[in-house]
Amino acid sequence: MAFNYDDYLRLEKMPTLWCWGCGDGIVLKAFVRAVDKLQIPKDDICVVSGIGCSGRFSSYVDFNTIHTTHGRTPAYATGVKLANPDKTVVCVTGDGDALAIGGNHTIHAARRNIDITFIVIQNFIYGLTNSQTSPTTPQGMWTVTQKIGNIDPTFDACKLAEAAGASFVARESVTKPKKLEKIFVEALKHKGFAYVDALTNCHINLGRKNKMVSAMETLDWIDSITTPKSKWDKMSEEERLNLLPTGILKQDTEAAEYTDMYYNMIIPAHQGKRAKITQDDFEKKI
Amino acid sequence: MAVMAAPENTPVWVNTDRCKACDICVDACPAGVLSMRPDPHSTLGANIEIVAVEACIGCNECELSCPDFAIYVAEKSEFKFAKLTDSAKARQEAIEKNGYRLPEDWKEA
Repeated sequence: MAFNYDDYLRLEKMPTLWCWGCGDGIVLKAFVRAVDKLQIPKDDICVVSGIGCSGRFSSYVDFNTIHTTHGRTPAYATGVKLANPDKTVVCVTGDGDALAIGGNHTIHAARRNIDITFIVIQNFIYGLTNSQTSPTTPQGMWTVTQKIGNIDPTFDACKLAEAAGASFVARESVTKPKKLEKIFVEALKHKGFAYVDALTNCHINLGRKNKMVSAMETLDWIDSITTPKSKWDKMSEEERLNLLPTGILKQDTEAAEYTDMYYNMIIPAHQGKRAKITQDDFEKKI
Repeated sequence: MAVMAAPENTPVWVNTDRCKACDICVDACPAGVLSMRPDPHSTLGANIEIVAVEACIGCNECELSCPDFAIYVAEKSEFKFAKLTDSAKARQEAIEKNGYRLPEDWKEA
């Protein structure tokens, strides 16, 4: 016996449109295995994706899917979740999608702590449109818009999500598919905004001009810039330079979830009542 | 759970129609089970091939890191996998050195 991925895929769309060796496929695989592990029925899960290579994700999985506008995945997903609070809603976006054009939507979805699993497939470049600088492109790398080396400082997306109020923040690279699967399981189980940063390779558009021609070379580079959180905690400030911690970085199960808060307010309101705000509630808010 | 039947007495098998010859699985295998063979009909001129099925240790790395759903590994509970031997390691090194293809004059030590 072996794991049958075909049960979760739209076979008429296969093979995937992604380039050979693209890490997006590994993320897709880890996600499918995580869904299978939790035994979530296929009709009870909705995958929302935006524009970019990561946007293709929703085309390949046989769940309820929406392929939405650029960067607006959290907005669509918030609507889906509020209308169907008992369903699992998953956003799949890329670094350009979630952090550049959709940055505002991302931080406000995180602030509300709505129960969405938010997967950011980070390949450090705008892959679909051919190598423009993205918010996470490392400094000094060649891009088509900065040909003598990128000078823009990079974004630590996990810190952003944490500061914005996400109650679950994790990061893992596709070089550790087993750990990635475990993180997806935890993220899907978590009630609240679960932000997962999945670092992947784009050897075609990032690697090609930055001396990482094959998928393995780009994956080796990703390995060299990541370190497990347990090691990271013991490091000094100097050693932490240019390194990203991987694993679960924040997990807060106590935080109030937005769908609950919404229904606690809206059900009495429909009956003509108003939820009373006590002095205690008022103090909590500040 | 989504499961599929495995071919009899096979620890690892591949779907060559889906393979895009990215070499990731060959790089991930510690025992030199997989390699690329020249294939003029493939985009990158290569396709996946199992060269030493009996050496599979069942670590599942190739299946998990294949982006195109082309590789399957049997369950550990169902199949008795081999142990990692020195000759398997040597074959893996030779494959990696030879651009992820098994050298034509390769002989088992």
